[in-house]
Amino acid sequence: MKEEKDFYERLSEKGISRRDFMKYCGMLTATMGLSASFIPKVAEVYAAPRQRPPVVWLQFGECTGCSEALLRTMYPWVDELVLEIISLEYHETVMAAAGYQAEDDLKAAVKKYQGKFICIVEGAISTKDNGIYGQIAGKTFLEIANDVCRKAGAVISVGACASYGGIQAAAPNPGGYKGVSDALGIKTVNIPGCPYNPVNLVGTLVNYLLLGKLPDLDDQGRPLFAYGTTVHDQCPRRGHFENDEFIKEFGSKEAEMGYCLYEMGCKGPDTYNNCPTVKYNEGTSFPMQAGHPCIGCSQPNFWDQMTPFFESQ
Amino acid sequence: MSKKITIDPITRIEGHLRIEVEVAGNKVANAWSSGQMFRGIEVILRGRDPRDAPLFAQRT
Repeated sequence: MKEEKDFYERLSEKGISRRDFMKYCGMLTATMGLSASFIPKVAEVYAAPRQRPPVVWLQFGECTGCSEALLRTMYPWVDELVLEIISLEYHETVMAAAGYQAEDDLKAAVKKYQGKFICIVEGAISTKDNGIYGQIAGKTFLEIANDVCRKAGAVISVGACASYGGIQAAAPNPGGYKGVSDALGIKTVNIPGCPYNPVNLVGTLVNYLLLGKLPDLDDQGRPLFAYGTTVHDQCPRRGHFENDEFIKEFGSKEAEMGYCLYEMGCKGPDTYNNCPTVKYNEGTSFPMQAGHPCIGCSQPNFWDQMTPFFESQ
Repeated sequence: MSKKITIDPITRIEGHLRIEVEVAGNKVANAWSSGQMFRGIEVILRGRDPRDAPLFAQRT
């Protein structure tokens, strides 16, 4: 149909072949744990979207790494795909408006799509001293979250900060930072990681557009397709672990041979995520492949629970 | 007589920034730039294993 034809033409103009796009759909379908028969349906979500759910993206106590992970590392053409299957109503890192005009946009979007929009939150919320340690346009993060998140159809907390409090919540947590679910007392879909793997956010959104529902979640609100298995159980260096072949020092002969990083502090056995399977930067690599131990960044309070990073517990 | 212009949030940057400008006539008489978020990464770093420091600090 014409819409699909236009879509493929637009991609082609950007130098993206249909083959590239189908490979991307295949990767996404596999990540979501769906059978290959879903691949053409996933392609249809992009090529002929039947709906474009409004999305309001809020940023609180964060480093913007989660936005950068999505916008810069996924694929060079992520703007064409991801930003077209949703209607991004508010995002301070990319939106054209600033100041009062940006706030008017937020107010208008929340009012127009009340109860229906997806609120994606990046960053943690300061709660100490009435939350004054984080403000936007004269309102605290807490005030904004209490207002906007409670009016959303669903709230997705992306990254360690929005999920569990993140780095600013590490001892002694000077600003009293908390994750969204904790700060507001509401249930959120959590996609933790520092940063999270953006493929898991896209998978969650596409699952929703494809099947009309959120993916199955674990008891911490994390999509099971991504956080159902430990990193250790997917690690390509697992054979070395089983054979007691450990790296004792960076730059050693063992390090060169790609032995297990457990004794360098790897927290893979305690960490649930799909890094070794989906990897990062268009499936290029992930920490252990590059020779760095897992820091357990998708687990709650990892900054205190998994440190020192280079000591095994 | 001066006019105060406030731009908050400054968008298309990393972080939370507030800019206030006082305009008198056609000139900027005064200007303020304010970071609107405090997290305390330096405080959090104190007492930790120094090998962890780059991993914490890169999240600023």
